[in-house]
Amino acid sequence: MEAFWNSIAAYNAATWPFQLALVVIAAVLTLILRFRPSVWARNAMKILMVTFSLWIAFVYYLGFCGERDYSFVMIIFWCMVAAAWIYDLVTGFSSFSKSQGRYRFWGVLMLLLPLVYPLLSVARGLTFPEITTPMLPSGVALYMLGVLMAFNRKINFFAFIFVVHWALIAISKIVLFSIPEDILLAAACLPAMAIFFRQAAEKADPEGRKPSRLMMNILIFMVVLLIAVCMVIPNV
Amino acid sequence: MTQEQVVETADFIARYLSHMLGAGVHTSRVVRNSKRIGTALGVDVSIHTSQKTATLTVKSGQLMNTRVLDIPAFPISFEWNADLSALSWAAYDRKMPLKEIEAKFDELISKPRMNPVFVLLMVSLANASFCRLFGGDVWAMLVTFTATMIGFFTRQHLTRRKVNHYIVFIISAFVASLCASTALTLGIDSAEIALATSVLYLVPGVPLINGIIDITDGHIQIGISRLVNALMLIVCIAIGMSATLMLVKDSLL
Repeated sequence: MEAFWNSIAAYNAATWPFQLALVVIAAVLTLILRFRPSVWARNAMKILMVTFSLWIAFVYYLGFCGERDYSFVMIIFWCMVAAAWIYDLVTGFSSFSKSQGRYRFWGVLMLLLPLVYPLLSVARGLTFPEITTPMLPSGVALYMLGVLMAFNRKINFFAFIFVVHWALIAISKIVLFSIPEDILLAAACLPAMAIFFRQAAEKADPEGRKPSRLMMNILIFMVVLLIAVCMVIPNV
Repeated sequence: MTQEQVVETADFIARYLSHMLGAGVHTSRVVRNSKRIGTALGVDVSIHTSQKTATLTVKSGQLMNTRVLDIPAFPISFEWNADLSALSWAAYDRKMPLKEIEAKFDELISKPRMNPVFVLLMVSLANASFCRLFGGDVWAMLVTFTATMIGFFTRQHLTRRKVNHYIVFIISAFVASLCASTALTLGIDSAEIALATSVLYLVPGVPLINGIIDITDGHIQIGISRLVNALMLIVCIAIGMSATLMLVKDSLL
């Protein structure tokens, strides 16, 4: 646990201006995508996602987490997340079109949640640089989830399930490494799972496949509920 | 019976057996069911099967029709297996005419297919359950659940894009095991169980079982073909998983 917080402190102390710059770029690009959507803005957002993933892989994990066991696994994992976005960039899969109705609220909320990370740390009595920031893996995953939710007409499902995987790891970190800040990602992930799996099931059901939509919705709800129970019960 | 009727009967039995073999039914059942339908329609049926093709002869007295047919690669379907077997008994017991059998057959094979998202979720849950059976804790189960989901989604995606299925197996095994290896970073005791169980969804159980059944039933040739095919898939899983182990643990053990 000490190695964990030491690496975060060293990372924050050394990179906070760059982190700040990346957060500003992300905020500006999100606003452009929201109010002035265009092809270049969509591609720029995908490039930003690739940049964020590679930043986490090579700056955070490679640069500052060498002391942690198996940190190189996370480098490979975040490279795979980057690969998912590069694939999206090449194939032009995600349309990044604005979400409709109630999803818009969830999207805006999730986009703002990464900014809450440092506030939560400060509220817990931690001081800079030993605090969580939006440019840590969970903050970045949450931002990706927010972008997917805010612009969810046609999403990059690969990137989404990678984020879900990361979120479930974050759930375990709440208990195993005492990082309550990661509750934000875990809590955001559950409604996102319900919404995106439902959307994917409906999209894959043009000719009335089995089981019925009602049964699919019940199954998705049960899976999400099961994961939520795992968040509550630390060990089985 | 006229030659035209023999040809029509052969047409139908060819469709019937290619659908059954393609859906992963073991050979002796396919042969038995096809012969049963033949008996119901008053013809003798002889079948020779191999991995990719089958040879069918339908004979009524001096009239005969022989053809070689390709076996299409359908997804493995226990539903087709059960429904089409029941159809052969219905045809035999009720002496159904060919037109009625054909109509029923078309109805059975055009039933709605499983939603791929349903399969994705169920396979992930099944692998997480395997993880628990092998002693994994709740964290290992969660990691196995999502690692399987990523691996299986990769498999679905690549299969849709018609990538060679050996390559699909290698990539899927690599992706799933690599994602499962993130459990190692949590420092939990059952991280290696998560790693091992994340690729179980790829194990070709049906070809393995069919291969053994075919050999014990005397269909040695197709039995060996199926076992070799299953063995190749297992080697592909091993290649994908070995790549992860060499990257993550720097050894295969």
